[in-house]
Amino acid sequence: MAKSIPWIPLLALIGAALAGMGAHRLQEPLRPATEVAGLNAHETHAGATLLGQFRTNISAWLWLRTDRYLHNGVEMRPLTDQELAAGQMGVGTSDNHEKDLHDDSAMRTVVPSQSEDFRGWMGDVERATSTYKDMTNHGHNSPKTALPLFRLMTWLDPHFIRGWTTGSAAIGWGRVPGSEVKMMAYLKEGLEKNPQSVAIHMELGSVKVRRQRDFRGAIPDFAAAIRYGGPNLEKLGPDDQEALQDAFRWKTLCHREIGDYEGKVASAKAGLQLFPEDSLLMRLLHESPLKTVPGQKTPDRVEIPEEEEEHH
Amino acid sequence: MRFFVLKALTRGVVIDSVRRKDLWVVAILGLLILLSASLLGFFGLDGLQSFVKDLATSVLGIFTTIIAVLVSGRMMPDEIKNRTLYPLLARPISRWELLVGKWLGAVAVTWISFGLLLVTTSLALALFRVPFEPVMLQYILLKMIGLAMLCSVTLLMSLLMTPAGACVMSLILAAGTGMIVRAMTMAFEFASPPVQFLFKVLNGLLPQYGLFDVGDRAANSGWGPAPLWVVGALLGYAAVYSLAMLVLSWARFRRQAI
Repeated sequence: MAKSIPWIPLLALIGAALAGMGAHRLQEPLRPATEVAGLNAHETHAGATLLGQFRTNISAWLWLRTDRYLHNGVEMRPLTDQELAAGQMGVGTSDNHEKDLHDDSAMRTVVPSQSEDFRGWMGDVERATSTYKDMTNHGHNSPKTALPLFRLMTWLDPHFIRGWTTGSAAIGWGRVPGSEVKMMAYLKEGLEKNPQSVAIHMELGSVKVRRQRDFRGAIPDFAAAIRYGGPNLEKLGPDDQEALQDAFRWKTLCHREIGDYEGKVASAKAGLQLFPEDSLLMRLLHESPLKTVPGQKTPDRVEIPEEEEEHH
Repeated sequence: MRFFVLKALTRGVVIDSVRRKDLWVVAILGLLILLSASLLGFFGLDGLQSFVKDLATSVLGIFTTIIAVLVSGRMMPDEIKNRTLYPLLARPISRWELLVGKWLGAVAVTWISFGLLLVTTSLALALFRVPFEPVMLQYILLKMIGLAMLCSVTLLMSLLMTPAGACVMSLILAAGTGMIVRAMTMAFEFASPPVQFLFKVLNGLLPQYGLFDVGDRAANSGWGPAPLWVVGALLGYAAVYSLAMLVLSWARFRRQAI
């Protein structure tokens, strides 16, 4: 009788079921809420540039397409390490205030200009048949037109953090009254899917500060970004590292704006422990308590820029 | 070269393709396009026009490339394997005529498939009221020329290797040439003179299908058609390159023991 029981398959099934029950524990280490640096679509290595469009992630593909639509079809690429080492410059942009969407200071067109192309008439033909034009100090299409793409890419991959943060910037494009409410709703939706995302918490806080001047309300968002990012600094990708640094800066400024001197000093000190060379945090730390009076203007006070507040 | 022979051979390839139900596959692909398009409608198409047109031209390009490769990659090996080549060669047909006729047949099947997919795609776009600019006509013309060139390259491959190998190699060339050329343009400045020379030779040898794709101009607004000299240059390039591929195929085929 005992021989008729298929023990081996039975034990294998029980083992598989137990492993499945415990598998959810692997979710956090396998899929951290922070962006993985290796998935950054704007890498500077030549190989990454070439294979950029073959990313396995369709959201990353949509991201790359979005960049093309912003340039009305002109395909751009980052300068390679060799080009950077040779001191070459990107094409630059005429609208620098859009840096939240992308940065063109180290970008150039994928199709080379005639002077940089060895292919002769074939290069001329490619420039005539592709969407190529001289992009020196170029402008951009309104990112509003790409909003459905951001919606599509975050629907396809809710963990694609850039889709949430950049999508929010696209919603806020042109500073249309009431857009901040939509921005925050979009970012909160992103936080539901990525509750530990440093970049989304930071972006939510910065919308509250920049668009609503809600310094007190933004502090918990920056604190959350610091809570999730601070202990994992080494594991963070470049975007999240920048977001974490920004979170410390904004939080320190917020404490000052609400007159919380102790909070400002504590925040600046905590930030300097992780980013010891941050000159802004250093200046904020050494401001006198007198300067924490809300709204008070003094010559050496660190001000929150009005126009270029995206990158303070 | 006799016209009626070429016509009969071309017709044979088309009929064979219909018998194999290749065009049914095209119809199913077309249905997939329509279904995907309806899924896109879920997100609303305001502001997505460029994306939809981009997707449409990309899908058209990918599907027709696959069809062109599969049709032209298996013609000659199948004729040899099924021994249907013997009755053909027993007639007063030269091997050169046979090759050119087969190539024209593959081109005809590919163009018919392209036309069918184009109709399906246009229907899907019309559903969402996405308009195309006149540059789309140039896209169609240049795509057809590029596909003819692709058929000639695959035909040569099919005489040099197994059908599967020929198809894979041809698809790699179709998808990879753009990347290789891009890499060479990026690396040229930093390469040594011998390597630069190698890049120039490689650039001349590789089939530059990408030059025939004005899909990006059709998808994004404000880009007009390419100048007439460009169309002329591409026609000349495709003619010379395809002829070279056919001559190489003939050189291989006439020495091939059957």
